[in-house]
Amino acid sequence: MNKLLFFFCLLGVTAFAQTQPNISPADLNGMRAVGSPADPKVKEEWRKYHDYAQISDFCQRMVKAHPDLVKLQSIGKSFQGREMWLMTITDYKTGIPDRKPGFYIDGNIHGNEIQGGEIAMYTAWYLAENFYTMPFIRELLRNRVFYIIPSINLDGRENFIHQPNTASSSRSGMMPLDDDDDGVIDEDKLDDLDGDGNIVSMRRKNPLGRWKVDPTYPTRMVPARTDEAGEYELLGSEGLDNDGDGQVNEDNWGVYDPNRDWAWNWQPNYVQGGALFYPGTLPETRNIKSFVLAHPNIAGAQSYHNNGGMFLRGPGAAEDDPFYSQGDIAVYDVIGKIGEKIVPGYKYFIIHKDLYTVYGGEIDWFALTRGVFTFSNELMTSFKLFNQPPNAQQNRFQNQDYEEFDKYLLMGDGYVQWKPFKHPQFGDIEIGGPKKNYLRNHPGFLLEEDAHRNMSFTLLHAYQMPQLEVFSIVKKPLANNLTEITATVYNSRIMPTHSAHDLKYKIERPDHISLKNATVVAGMIVENEDFNQTKEQKYTPQTINVPNIPGMGAVKVRWIVSGKVDKVTVEVDSRKGGLISKTE
Amino acid sequence: MRLLVLLILCGFWGSLSAQKTYSTYPQLTARIKDLAGKNVSLASVTSAGKSAGGKDLWLLTLSQGNPSSKPALLLVAGLDGSHPAGSETLLLMAEKMLTNPSDQVKDLLSKKTLYIMACANPDAWDQGKSKFERSGNTTPSDEDRDGRINEDPFEDLNADGLITQLRVEDPSGTLIPSKTDPRILLKADPTKSEVGKYLLLSEGTDNDKDGNWNEDGEGGININKNFTFNYPYFEKESGVYAASESETKAVLEFLYRNLNIFGVIVFGPENNLSTATKFDAAKARNRIVTGPLEKDAAVGEYVSKMYNTSTGFKNAPAMPLGKGSLVQTAYFHAGRFGFGTPGWWPQLPPPDTSQKQKAPAAAATLSADEIFFKWADAEKVAVFADWKEIKHPDFPGKKVEVGGLLPYARWNPPVSYLDDIAQKHNKFLLDLAAAMPSLDIVNTKVEPLSAGVNRITVQVINKGFLPTFADLGNRVKYVSKVRTTLNHTATQTLLSGKKMNLQASMGAGEFVEYTWLVNGTGKISVTVTCPTAGTKTVEFTLN
Repeated sequence: MNKLLFFFCLLGVTAFAQTQPNISPADLNGMRAVGSPADPKVKEEWRKYHDYAQISDFCQRMVKAHPDLVKLQSIGKSFQGREMWLMTITDYKTGIPDRKPGFYIDGNIHGNEIQGGEIAMYTAWYLAENFYTMPFIRELLRNRVFYIIPSINLDGRENFIHQPNTASSSRSGMMPLDDDDDGVIDEDKLDDLDGDGNIVSMRRKNPLGRWKVDPTYPTRMVPARTDEAGEYELLGSEGLDNDGDGQVNEDNWGVYDPNRDWAWNWQPNYVQGGALFYPGTLPETRNIKSFVLAHPNIAGAQSYHNNGGMFLRGPGAAEDDPFYSQGDIAVYDVIGKIGEKIVPGYKYFIIHKDLYTVYGGEIDWFALTRGVFTFSNELMTSFKLFNQPPNAQQNRFQNQDYEEFDKYLLMGDGYVQWKPFKHPQFGDIEIGGPKKNYLRNHPGFLLEEDAHRNMSFTLLHAYQMPQLEVFSIVKKPLANNLTEITATVYNSRIMPTHSAHDLKYKIERPDHISLKNATVVAGMIVENEDFNQTKEQKYTPQTINVPNIPGMGAVKVRWIVSGKVDKVTVEVDSRKGGLISKTE
Repeated sequence: MRLLVLLILCGFWGSLSAQKTYSTYPQLTARIKDLAGKNVSLASVTSAGKSAGGKDLWLLTLSQGNPSSKPALLLVAGLDGSHPAGSETLLLMAEKMLTNPSDQVKDLLSKKTLYIMACANPDAWDQGKSKFERSGNTTPSDEDRDGRINEDPFEDLNADGLITQLRVEDPSGTLIPSKTDPRILLKADPTKSEVGKYLLLSEGTDNDKDGNWNEDGEGGININKNFTFNYPYFEKESGVYAASESETKAVLEFLYRNLNIFGVIVFGPENNLSTATKFDAAKARNRIVTGPLEKDAAVGEYVSKMYNTSTGFKNAPAMPLGKGSLVQTAYFHAGRFGFGTPGWWPQLPPPDTSQKQKAPAAAATLSADEIFFKWADAEKVAVFADWKEIKHPDFPGKKVEVGGLLPYARWNPPVSYLDDIAQKHNKFLLDLAAAMPSLDIVNTKVEPLSAGVNRITVQVINKGFLPTFADLGNRVKYVSKVRTTLNHTATQTLLSGKKMNLQASMGAGEFVEYTWLVNGTGKISVTVTCPTAGTKTVEFTLN
């Protein structure tokens, strides 16, 4: 193994363009499919959903199989005491991990939106398993560090998977709240009447009802025409009036929205439904904030949600639009537009404009409190059913895509057929409808493909984080036994070391460019080299504070040093751009 | 005379009130624990959380019986650490209340609960109080956001043990001494042909040579800028984000988790008690409400009038509610009433009638600073250090003087002044508590319709002078509404009417009628409850 590693490290020096064995020799049985690891060390199934025990197990197997690439830590406990696992993935043999530009990935902030966790794990797996065979991945892990938390709402996820739910319930976490203000907490939850693990719909035959059965797909209910008598009334989600107050399912686990618990433009519950007491009421939110504050190298972030097929950028509220300047938007535009090509059916959108207003969301906290370029992908879209956009002329009761897809591609696995039930309050009813793992979360065979496509989008995002290099060091002798040293520092990616928003509010400190092993008399930023326009820095002239190193751009700094100079070292220390140096 | 009063009072309160200087944090802790220890039937002390520096945030609960079953007020002081007078005042209030408690106090504590957090920012309290005016806790903060922490602190250049100001004679200076009081520096007004003379800086040097003096010293986060309403992003002492500080979280967690808290009174540099915030339809109308709702503004006026009458205080300087403050967060976000007062402010000395002089200037024509210095002169309180020339390395060849307002002097009088302030605020507190909402069930009727079938009718009424909770609370999930429940047995069935009924906030004297049809006999009762307005049960027998 060590030999193999050494071999590829050697290859890595010349890297990229060179043709080299992109097959691990020992791996093959048959032919490797291009773009995928042939014989991964961590055998994992990507057509299913992992629960907490399986996530924990997966993370541990990753560390065991890839000790030089994956480290695991818990950033704290969830409300119910589950460990919030975070994998730190980078090439640990190159550089200082936490000083590389960092990319943060999480998923599943809403308990029912579980595929984000799978995509986060797939990304970790893909990076580690392909490190030795794909030069691009190798370079990426040399220069970047990934912080991956598969699920940031483990309690809600576990509840969604192991307790009866609809496709949309268990969005909340599990902190108990009195939703109906009756003085009792979480006393009237959903009830799985037939014990099949799914919460579906209740209907009752009633000639006065306004609903009827869809003749083509009888699992589905459609409204009767305006001038037509109906056959059924709908009675909501499967459940009982557990507390005898005349309401059904009105005080479920929670209920709140973990994505309204973040400290940018946070608003109270009456402005923004789902908000708790203050941003960071939840331990999950607090754990993440502490981790991010302790890792100022995080320059990019992705938070996976479902659904609708979107690459969302902030802001969540229209009044925050002024915080997104043209320069920052240009960065998002490049990534978002390529995204629309590589993930067919997904659209590059702005949260408040194209989705809805969100106050106190996670994306805004990353982007506006910390100056991190952040996307949130809304995974799964009805486009994926038949690889075509849904018919815009049809409303949801006319469009039968999900029923058709179920019939021809899921072999009928997506729905619970209607069956009779004796309900203590409603009498003779029937229960049936879509299963909790249909509609919002991917069907198995689409999950792996979409995991790969969305990961690719996120790796593009991560690739475009600042990549700094000392482009040149030029020495020029001056009169009076002085030498002028001019260093040019280049950022070869589209993201600047500071977003325009960051610069405006001075969120992160300036980048430091230092001259080592020389006696510095004066230091300055070169604003225009041709006309010798410079700005002197009086304090600590050996370390020049540069406010920003722009994307695809360079800065020049200059020192006047005493004496003749042989070799000097120029070190660039940027919080989001990394720590690099060059001696010349 | 004042000393005599003080001595008499000392006799009453023993060692507790004998001190003549502000308490240290250990002394404060001892006073709180001592008070609770001596009054076990009325008081208890717990820690509501820890400060950034690991100090306990003491919560003193004054209540007879179960505190959480009674409507409550939360009193907080010291959020902004530069205002220890608020903390001393609040603690004195508690001490006075429990020392030989009057019947009025006993009655109050049997019906209501007072939660008292006298020192909500203990880090600021104990750090450098004698040297510089400190608002913040011990969270490290890079105030100038240059990546270096505390690299440009104050320096005590004249070694007098205090951080005051620097006055620099400089052609670029914009300030000149006031004609009425040279201690006050005013901006020169070019339209009056005035030419600026001085620069005013804090005492110290520009350690990092960035052209700013002492912009990043020790100081941390001012808790009263770290709350959620109108949070001041990226401003000095406000923290890295809203509710980032453990002190903030402790206060909010306590406020939200205790549904019985009707209102919050904050002692600090904000005042909406002397003058209430006016109703502004435009601010109240928006999705994000930024001004009090009409009914709540009326409550604010009522309470303000009560405050001015109970205390007799006049001429309060305008101290607008700040960004990210608790007073505003308590109302706009938590839906509870929020009040703020500094407690003490300088009063104009009474006109000297022994000498025939021209009429003294009316308070209205004097600036707040002028009143302050007049008060200090009359009371012989040291608040100002005379300007003394020093040599300053940042200003070679220039005249630089150290002096000016002493740290803490502006809003923190000698502690002896707070005795009377505490007394008067206790009077206000008793009046306010007496006006708080109180639910009752009146005009009850049981009408038999036929054998075993009865119609029960009740009126639920708020007998207090204040509403059951703020009107804004109607919109807040975490404010409990007025809940009226018919408690029937298994053999009694409801033919009409809802078992449980929720009602929005009820103003003074407002009532709501409920009626139920019950099939069954025997005992049955109706309970109305609202954590901020109390509980009442009436029982009936059905035949």
